Amino acid sequence: MKKKILPYLLLAPMILIMGVLVFYPIIATFSYSLKKWKLTAPGDIHFIGIKNYLDIIQSDSFWYSMQNTLFILVFVVIFTTLFGYLVASFLNVDVKWSGILLSLSILPWALPPYVNGVLWKFVFFSGYGFLNKLLIGLGITSKPIEFLGSRWTLLLVISIVVVWRSIPFMALVCLAGRQSIPVDFYEAAKMDGGTPGMIFRYITMPLMKPFLAVGITSTSVTAINVFDEIVALSGYSDLGKNILMESYLTTFTFLNFGKGSAMTYIVMFFALILGVFYLRSLNREVEY
Amino acid sequence: MKYAKKAGYYLATILFLIFTVGPFVWTFIISVTPDYAIFAPTSKMLPESITFANYVELFSGSRRGNAFFKGMYNSMRAVGITLVIGIPIAMMSAYALSRMEFKGRKVIKNLFLITMVIPVMATIIPLYRMFAAGKMLDNIFWLSLVYVSSYLPMASWLISNYFATIPKELEEAAMIDGCGRGAAFFRIILPLSRPIILSVTLIMFLNTWSQFQIPLILASSMETKPMAIVVSEFMTKDSIQYGLIAAAGMTALIPPALTAMLFRKYLISGMMGGSVKG
Repeated sequence: MKKKILPYLLLAPMILIMGVLVFYPIIATFSYSLKKWKLTAPGDIHFIGIKNYLDIIQSDSFWYSMQNTLFILVFVVIFTTLFGYLVASFLNVDVKWSGILLSLSILPWALPPYVNGVLWKFVFFSGYGFLNKLLIGLGITSKPIEFLGSRWTLLLVISIVVVWRSIPFMALVCLAGRQSIPVDFYEAAKMDGGTPGMIFRYITMPLMKPFLAVGITSTSVTAINVFDEIVALSGYSDLGKNILMESYLTTFTFLNFGKGSAMTYIVMFFALILGVFYLRSLNREVEY
Repeated sequence: MKYAKKAGYYLATILFLIFTVGPFVWTFIISVTPDYAIFAPTSKMLPESITFANYVELFSGSRRGNAFFKGMYNSMRAVGITLVIGIPIAMMSAYALSRMEFKGRKVIKNLFLITMVIPVMATIIPLYRMFAAGKMLDNIFWLSLVYVSSYLPMASWLISNYFATIPKELEEAAMIDGCGRGAAFFRIILPLSRPIILSVTLIMFLNTWSQFQIPLILASSMETKPMAIVVSEFMTKDSIQYGLIAAAGMTALIPPALTAMLFRKYLISGMMGGSVKG
């Protein structure tokens, strides 16, 4: 009998903390999202069904943020995967200074995302920042380009910074994948006359797949949850806002708790789809 | 062919260094450039003279310098509380999840894990209300507890994967020799798990040092707000001193950068552990 309750006793603190600070709020947010609830009108809080959701999908501002979110998501996933894989191949080469290279490679991951945004703000600064100095020095442009001043270049810069911070994790996941493949496989393939292309396609890729799945899903989650970098690069302006920023502004600047909650739930819907893939990819490895 | 390969590797190293270290070097240059020269209309990369005035302002007890160090101190306090609460709880849960069979094990594990993908905004609105009602806003303890709730799933997942690699026989042998379950844990499992505990400790430290969005909403007083928020306020206040922001950024980077350099091995095994079983 004692044995049966022990595991629950051990889990109790975690269940308590997660229950009160994570699961209860998630459910509460949903109930808020079905209410008319503005802090500016505290006397007038009542159930309105899915009206908040309908208002949101009819607003241009939502679709603007949605496009931004998707832009960041697609860009970040593609380039993080590509460069993460390349950096992993690079770090896989054994040289005297491998240790130093590894340390440097995890720096972008270890630093506060807000500070990362600040670092890159100096590089892409719209006046005479690093990149503009470089472009002018090379004669590519005669006057500074406003990278942070127009929508698409700003989104590009935000995405680049997020890619930069996400590469280390992706690279290490790929590195773990590569190192899990027995060297014999490559030797056998070479003996049988396999070309590098064939080896990549029939050995490296299939065996790396579960690792890439973890890397890509976790990068996608990072990409839709970007916040700090956007604040660092463009403040709380509307130009580069994603849905998360829109939900933050709706809730805490315009004090519309109902609508802000509904907006969050829309982001969460996408996050949960990714979450299911994430769980699957994490659990798949348990079997092998 | 061999030369081509070597040249390619060196080229890759140079590109890697430019893109990894470049932003730090550039920000450092900005931090020692006199204010008037920072964005002077010239394509020259290096300033004609250098100054440490920004660092002096930061370290010599000016109003902004004090705010910055107060923020660093607040961040550190949150790190302390997060670790003291987070690590033991993560270990208890990890032990139950990896070493015991009980009803609902899989469901509980998956429910915890899936919260890792949920955006901060999905929990923060009710938390804000709860904290406001309970007078828990602007309180480092409660703030840290919210951090803990966001780290526990990853932490207990990493630790339980590690526990699973320790042979059950070791524990059983100790129990046959008369140890209770508790004693077997402290004498056998705990000493063997030192590496993963260090990994998780470091990851929690770095995550707490990075916090921005949660304290933005739950901690707005001088007494509680962390470093990143203080730096962000340098950016939005009436006069923007870029040199000072650069100097503050460089200073705030020192703890995590040192950690990454000194404890590379543990951080990397922790990060890889998040993707690889055991």
